[in-house]
Amino acid sequence: MTDQAPKSQELREGLEGLALKVVMLEEGDLPGLGAFLTHLEKIQATLPADHGPEVALLFQQLEDVGNKLILQEIAPVAQAQELLSQGVSLLLTWARENAFPAESEPWKVYCRGAQELGVVKAEKGVPKSEPEAEAEPEPAAAMESQIWEDPELVANFIAEAREHLEGIESGLVHLEQDPTDLQAINAVFRPFHTVKGVAGFLNLPQIQELSHELESLLDEARSGRLQITAPVIDLILAGVDRLKDMLDDLQEALSDHRPLQRFDLQDIKDTVKQVQHAGAPSAAFEPVESVPPPEETAGADMDQALQELQAQEKAPPPVETPAAEEKAPAPAVAQPPVAQVKEQAKEVKRPPEAPAPASAPEVKAASDAQMPATLKVDIAKVDNLVNLMGELVIAQSQVRQNPHLLTISDPKLERDLAQMSRITTELQMISMSMRMVPIGQTLRKMVRLVRDLARKSKKSVELHLEGEETEIDRNMVETIYDPLVHLVRNAVDHGLEPTKERQALGKSPEGHVWLRAYHKGGNVVIDIEEDGRGLDRDRILAKAQERGLVQPGEQLSPTQIDHLIFEPGFSTAEKITDISGRGVGMDVVRLTIERLQGKIEINSRSQEGTRFTLRLPLTMAIIDGLVVKVGKERYILPAVAVRETLRPAASDYFTVQGQGEIIKVRSQLIPLLRLHRLFRTGNGDMPPTEALVMVVEHEGKQQGLLVDDILGKQEVVIKSLGESFQKIKGLAGGTILGDGRVGLILDLAGIFALGQA
Amino acid sequence: MSQAARQIQQESNSLHEKEGKYLTFSLAQEDYGLEILKVREIIGMMEITAVPQTPEYVKGVINLRGRVIPVIDLRLKFGLEAAEYGERTCIIVVEVQSEMGPVQMGVVVDSVSEVLNINGDDIEPAPSFGTRLKNQFILGIAKAKGTIKILLDIDRVLTSEEMAGLEILGG
Repeated sequence: MTDQAPKSQELREGLEGLALKVVMLEEGDLPGLGAFLTHLEKIQATLPADHGPEVALLFQQLEDVGNKLILQEIAPVAQAQELLSQGVSLLLTWARENAFPAESEPWKVYCRGAQELGVVKAEKGVPKSEPEAEAEPEPAAAMESQIWEDPELVANFIAEAREHLEGIESGLVHLEQDPTDLQAINAVFRPFHTVKGVAGFLNLPQIQELSHELESLLDEARSGRLQITAPVIDLILAGVDRLKDMLDDLQEALSDHRPLQRFDLQDIKDTVKQVQHAGAPSAAFEPVESVPPPEETAGADMDQALQELQAQEKAPPPVETPAAEEKAPAPAVAQPPVAQVKEQAKEVKRPPEAPAPASAPEVKAASDAQMPATLKVDIAKVDNLVNLMGELVIAQSQVRQNPHLLTISDPKLERDLAQMSRITTELQMISMSMRMVPIGQTLRKMVRLVRDLARKSKKSVELHLEGEETEIDRNMVETIYDPLVHLVRNAVDHGLEPTKERQALGKSPEGHVWLRAYHKGGNVVIDIEEDGRGLDRDRILAKAQERGLVQPGEQLSPTQIDHLIFEPGFSTAEKITDISGRGVGMDVVRLTIERLQGKIEINSRSQEGTRFTLRLPLTMAIIDGLVVKVGKERYILPAVAVRETLRPAASDYFTVQGQGEIIKVRSQLIPLLRLHRLFRTGNGDMPPTEALVMVVEHEGKQQGLLVDDILGKQEVVIKSLGESFQKIKGLAGGTILGDGRVGLILDLAGIFALGQA
Repeated sequence: MSQAARQIQQESNSLHEKEGKYLTFSLAQEDYGLEILKVREIIGMMEITAVPQTPEYVKGVINLRGRVIPVIDLRLKFGLEAAEYGERTCIIVVEVQSEMGPVQMGVVVDSVSEVLNINGDDIEPAPSFGTRLKNQFILGIAKAKGTIKILLDIDRVLTSEEMAGLEILGG
């Protein structure tokens, strides 16, 4: 026994290494398979003599499967890899517990799998695939001790699994519209498979169990034995929700070091069985030849599609080996040809073309460009780097503006300084771009939301996503999620008419919602558009008057009326649903966007629809600002809000009752606000003809701000003024100007409010 | 032990806890002390950016190596006569505890004197001045070198209701 311990330790480490190799295996990954087999042999040589018959069988079968994979004798590659990982995880259990789990569910699953693949050589001790009574699950305590061994691995799994689940959700919604789309079924099947595999590796039996159930359900659909119907989709979505709960629980358990909760999976499992038995015969199922690409899943699917393509390059062409396809009988599943993969991203609907041999190198290039090696870095480090880069840029401009330095006229110094400034600017750009992530993931979260909302409100809604690859500051992604949810909810619930009403109006029965993201003029722009009834301005105005937000007789432009919906507590919904219309939300949306230094615009046409446009800065850390001089202070105005700058002629300046001041810009009258008075600095009574007026716009309203001078336009790094100054109206933050002093950044919402007071 | 005696005992205990090193500075001919553990650094006077809509004693914000921190004039804060800033005027950067965690702030003082080790035996509780003067900012009064040093509870000076006042003004 004494030398047993180190021996088993060695064995366990060996097996863990083996498990890792299996997890990393990709299709057609010959070197990986080779390494796997070598590793397997090595472990076999160190096996203790008293290993049971099952262990010997397992080793033999694993080797067999590995060899067959290399020789491409096994058609369903994914299934074979799955078998390998099941086998290795069984061995791990054996090494850990010093007894082979011959009675456990995984072993039976494995044996069934092995039989299906035809790697079983009649051996004793292999249970037949007759379904037996549910095996006792392994004791929970023993398994959970495993989770904490590598918390980082588990944390990564949680993040990845969540991404997979999101992909699954959007895939399912697509599938609901086109239940025969085999690619879509595959796109949903694969992530379940991955989640299951990793959960098994990490010893998370419940997650593994549930994903396995759902995967097997989808497998039936894949092979045409089960028709995808709304109840099936609902069931899978319910499963996804349960999995999400489990992941939440896992995360909590991980951070609190508490044991995992046990979830009751029986209801889902029962329903799965029911559906499986009641499944429609495959006769009704006919794979469609020209399948439109599953647009919603394009992003999530891309990697896998490309991987397959790569694998395909090494493997014989699909035309000659239709059997090499997964179990699905359809030729339509044949690997998506290059053209189509590209189009998936662009969302051009076109039937897949036959893969032309000439396009093969292109695939390579595309995949190289799409899948660069990546490195996971703690976000705090990146944030710190971005901050420090901001400092460096400022420090550099301080050096350049040093009065002593300015007296030196040395061409070399000039050149060196210019070089330094080029490098720092570039460094800043790079560090900033490190924090950028594609917005697609956030947009795709809306797919499920829209589906559920449409269900609830009994409307038929089509969601169109555009520009998923648009990059946005990672810190901003989380913040814009809630506003987006609000806007999408409003679009579906308020914007779109019920189907009957649409038909009566001669519109298409299904409503359309577009989510578009794109870059424009140094901003990230997100459009939320629907083709519904448009804002009812009369009702908004009536409501606003009722609430006392607008005085009777007050003249408002259409834009100003539209912006009334952002007032706190404003809602025109006739009936309050649990979806929206409670009068909260829109003001929160506006506040959140403004806090991000962004703007929100409304474009609405009666009976044609409404479009909300969110204009956000590329990053939260930097804004484009105009530095203005007011008295002896300098303030920074967000450049995006400044419409024009002018020095008013005496004939364009009017006072109202000696108090209010107005200037005329072309034919428009604009109220004037003296920043000198507001901030009690400098000469508050200077004639406007000697000063500059900055015409700024905010929520459709315009205001002239009186300043002494414009000192320049520059990008400024936004710094918090700290909590003590958080509530001061009119200030958005501070920044460090070229001379090292602090300049205050003005917040237009606050300035406008102060101007009204 | 009588109630009064127990209270005295307790007070002297808590006064003993206050012994330690203090940074002393002067403010209009008075000597003050700040717990050295609260002090981050001492910097010379620099240009301060005024922040609108704040009480008079809030001088504004400065750039402390890339961080924006508020600066408060202690003379004005304590209702003393304002003074021109001169060669010896300093900003003491302190770290105070607020509800949101530690916050750095600058306080403007006439001049910094020295770091003193003050014995618990030399510290007396802040006397009550009735309604004329609130003593809530005062940890205690220390006798040292034939004079007295007013030991400040800087957390109280710069946060809580005082800052709330600032917020009301601002909001």
